[in-house]
Amino acid sequence: MSLVAEAFVSQIAAAEPWPENATLYQQLKGEQILLSDNAASLAVQAFLQMCNLPIKVVCRANAEYMSPSGKVPFIHVGNQVVSELGPIVQFVKAKGHSLSDGLDEVQKAEMKAYMELVNNMLLTAELYLQWCDEATVGEITHARYGSPYPWPLNHILAYQKQWEIKRKMKAIGWGKKTLDQVLEDVDQCCQALSQRLGTQPYFFNKQPTELDALVFGHLYTILTTQLTNDELSEKVKNYSNLLAFCRRIEQHYFEDRGKGRLS
Amino acid sequence: MAAPLELSCWGGGWGLPSVHSESLVVMAYAKFSGAPLKVNVIDNTWRGSRGDVPILTTEDNVVSQPAKILNFLRKQKYNADYELSAKQGADTLAYIALLEEKLLPAVLHTFWVESDNYFTVTKPWFASQIPFPLSLILPGRMSRGALNRILLTRGQPPLYHLREVEAQIYRDAKECLNLLSNRLGTSQFFFGNTPSTLDAYVFGFLAPLYKVRFPKIQLQEHLKQLSNLCRFCDDILSSYFRISLGGISPAGQDMVDANLQKLTQLVNKESNLIEKMDDNLRQSPQLPPRKLPTLKLTPAEEENNSFQRLSP
Repeated sequence: MSLVAEAFVSQIAAAEPWPENATLYQQLKGEQILLSDNAASLAVQAFLQMCNLPIKVVCRANAEYMSPSGKVPFIHVGNQVVSELGPIVQFVKAKGHSLSDGLDEVQKAEMKAYMELVNNMLLTAELYLQWCDEATVGEITHARYGSPYPWPLNHILAYQKQWEIKRKMKAIGWGKKTLDQVLEDVDQCCQALSQRLGTQPYFFNKQPTELDALVFGHLYTILTTQLTNDELSEKVKNYSNLLAFCRRIEQHYFEDRGKGRLS
Repeated sequence: MAAPLELSCWGGGWGLPSVHSESLVVMAYAKFSGAPLKVNVIDNTWRGSRGDVPILTTEDNVVSQPAKILNFLRKQKYNADYELSAKQGADTLAYIALLEEKLLPAVLHTFWVESDNYFTVTKPWFASQIPFPLSLILPGRMSRGALNRILLTRGQPPLYHLREVEAQIYRDAKECLNLLSNRLGTSQFFFGNTPSTLDAYVFGFLAPLYKVRFPKIQLQEHLKQLSNLCRFCDDILSSYFRISLGGISPAGQDMVDANLQKLTQLVNKESNLIEKMDDNLRQSPQLPPRKLPTLKLTPAEEENNSFQRLSP
């Protein structure tokens, strides 16, 4: 939203406490949602869990169209709708909850840099795999993306989305990459994350931050989603501290709170 | 390593070895790691500048994007990151991603999309570097490519209008500059006392923004307020690029340097003459004032002549 509107919204946001009936909208979990959207949604859920804010997850087929920025997930809190992790973090901060207050300037810069790394490499790689790799597109993506809609709408929507994503890939220079190069980039990104994490429980030692939520969302989804080939999850499995990190967050924030295992 | 490494890239101006960010990144990395790079500037007689620049050619390889070129140089044992720890290597990747996501859209906008800047500075400069038929097409294509990239990566609903996207990307870029400044602090380079890949990337993105003279300069002004980043750019320019500056900068720079040299010589000559005059006057005060020899007339020297007439 424009800068003025943003300032206005955060003013209003600061006024009210977090309500009990906040909801998070995403696409249908079983049949429709894709890898990248699932990762984003899980990241937001993890973040809100870490802030101790209750949220209910609602699945709707048209979640993408309801969202103010066209991206899922989005949360509906009080009478405001905020989408994507970045704006949600700011919105939650305006309400007085923040995970990164204890960090100094240099650490905040690092955190932002690593979040951009995940968005730049992991998310783009996921989008590439879903929409530009013919095998995955044919077997999984097309079928899932249009599943709630009748023929011919399901094909039209899927092709339209694919065209959009391919344009974006070409604009940022990923259009000519092969699958192997993309997997190598994923490997580099995971190596960087693994080296940064080291032996600490979270990225900034004792307390989790939004970076931990984002990394967890992406890595957990990659590890648990069934694709045509397992190369992507194999790349992540090479790094044992990342696996331990995911398990730790899953156990601490999802199972212990009585939510049961994530599907 | 025995094979000659040739880099073809855009030329320089305004005190920089190259005006194009990606070319500058590769050149800076080559200087830091000591790779012997022969730089071929794309000029009016060069064919094949199809917008894929910078390109590294060796005997059997042609490597095209900055990241790939840097990887190639590393494999050839020209590694500027030798002393970095694993964590610092990871930080490098993260900061490069930050630069590409947050700073690059605004830099592209300042150079290629902002109409005042594009039509008065960028387009004439690039058009002057490309042979005739292409000079009408290529700058336009690069501008459209830049606009496309900005809109596709940032211009999603509800930001329907380019003006709103502009506000957002400049805000992000200013935040990114602040973050870089905080990270650099007072140290000379980002990781200690030796420059590394991250320094090359930051220099490549910041130096054109810092040095090129634009009509619309809001991002440049913001950068100038961050004195440690300005000092960083100036340091690298003076320590790593001074030797080749004379060879690569355009003729205008040479002429200014030559004029400056002439002026300095004349001022020195003149002060010697004044000293001699003074001595003579002290020794024999009845003598008429010396007529100073007239020098050959050039613009700098005319100025000097008038100065001489004023002195006693």
